[in-house]
Amino acid sequence: MSDKEKKPAEDTSNGKTGENAEVEIFHRINRLKVKAGGDAKSGPGFLDPNAVDRAQQRIDEKAATYPVEVKDVLKNLTDSWNRLKGDTDNRNASELEQLYNYANHVKDLAATFYYPLMQHFGLSLREFSEKLDLSKPAHHTIVQAHIDAMWAVYFGGIKDHGDNNAKELKEIVSKAIEKHGKTD
Amino acid sequence: MSTGNNNRQKKSYSLHQFTILIAEDFPFMADLLSSMLREFGVGRIIVAENGRDAISRLRSSNGDSGSREPIDLALIDWLMPKQNGMEVISWIRSHKRDSLRFLPTILISAYTSEAVVEAGRDNGFNEVLVKPVSAEKLAQRILYVIDNPRPFVKAPNFFGPDRRRKDLDYSGEERRVTQSEHIKVNHER
Repeated sequence: MSDKEKKPAEDTSNGKTGENAEVEIFHRINRLKVKAGGDAKSGPGFLDPNAVDRAQQRIDEKAATYPVEVKDVLKNLTDSWNRLKGDTDNRNASELEQLYNYANHVKDLAATFYYPLMQHFGLSLREFSEKLDLSKPAHHTIVQAHIDAMWAVYFGGIKDHGDNNAKELKEIVSKAIEKHGKTD
Repeated sequence: MSTGNNNRQKKSYSLHQFTILIAEDFPFMADLLSSMLREFGVGRIIVAENGRDAISRLRSSNGDSGSREPIDLALIDWLMPKQNGMEVISWIRSHKRDSLRFLPTILISAYTSEAVVEAGRDNGFNEVLVKPVSAEKLAQRILYVIDNPRPFVKAPNFFGPDRRRKDLDYSGEERRVTQSEHIKVNHER
């Protein structure tokens, strides 16, 4: 039913006009439940467990494509960074936004398929790109450290934080941030 | 578990009449969510590629010139270019039309921090879905929105689903408006 056809919500319980009310509470008809085949008075429902299993299969199939997908995004991220490097006047805002988005996509992919280390670097780069100043060589070093670390994670097939290589990579990047980030 | 066992007494839901909006800028993630919703039997899935696109689609489906098949539920990514998820929910909750301001919404985020869940709640999202996404988690969030619609609250600095999910004992200073003369209760007929 469209809003045009529908009566607006009305006060029916406590007789307040709302003119002086600091708080209004709206109890709505549960249209979603009716649309799903339930009724307002019935208890909770469920989705066909076979449908949920099939949906999980779709995720599992996609998970198998993670290495290809993340490689594509890493290539886009690297290309974007290569284009940005020369922009020491910080003029290319749209390319900077691309870098941010690609870092975010790496993080999303890694989070979705549980690759915590890649997720960590994607998130770290995304956050750093918010304050990235291309006129500062130190910032170039930090971005490059992130990108190098992500490629190392990819080629090394490293998934978790616990691995010694993972610890080393995290240390390299955090030291780069600590050392070069101080020049702000 | 709502989606698994002990379903003999429960109603099996069908989502084939549902129209669900996915607002997600990363095509891979949008495809993944779409494929899961298709398996759930959702009748119509609309994908918006950024926040601005999401608002445009919501406006055309649920706004003044709304279609016959308005969007029933929106899955909204937090970080998107051209208006992020928080800007989208702010637009939804401040809209004058009921089909928009009361729209059920689920925030999708890769952050697991309490701050993100609080931000989602305080900006008016009904639910938060944290990545990694599983079919079970997505189904649970959708079922929760269907089965547990919370009343909406309009307060001086907030409009959205009631942020209190449980009645717990509280011994601190009362910060809520509790006097009935300051509360107006609306029941939709």
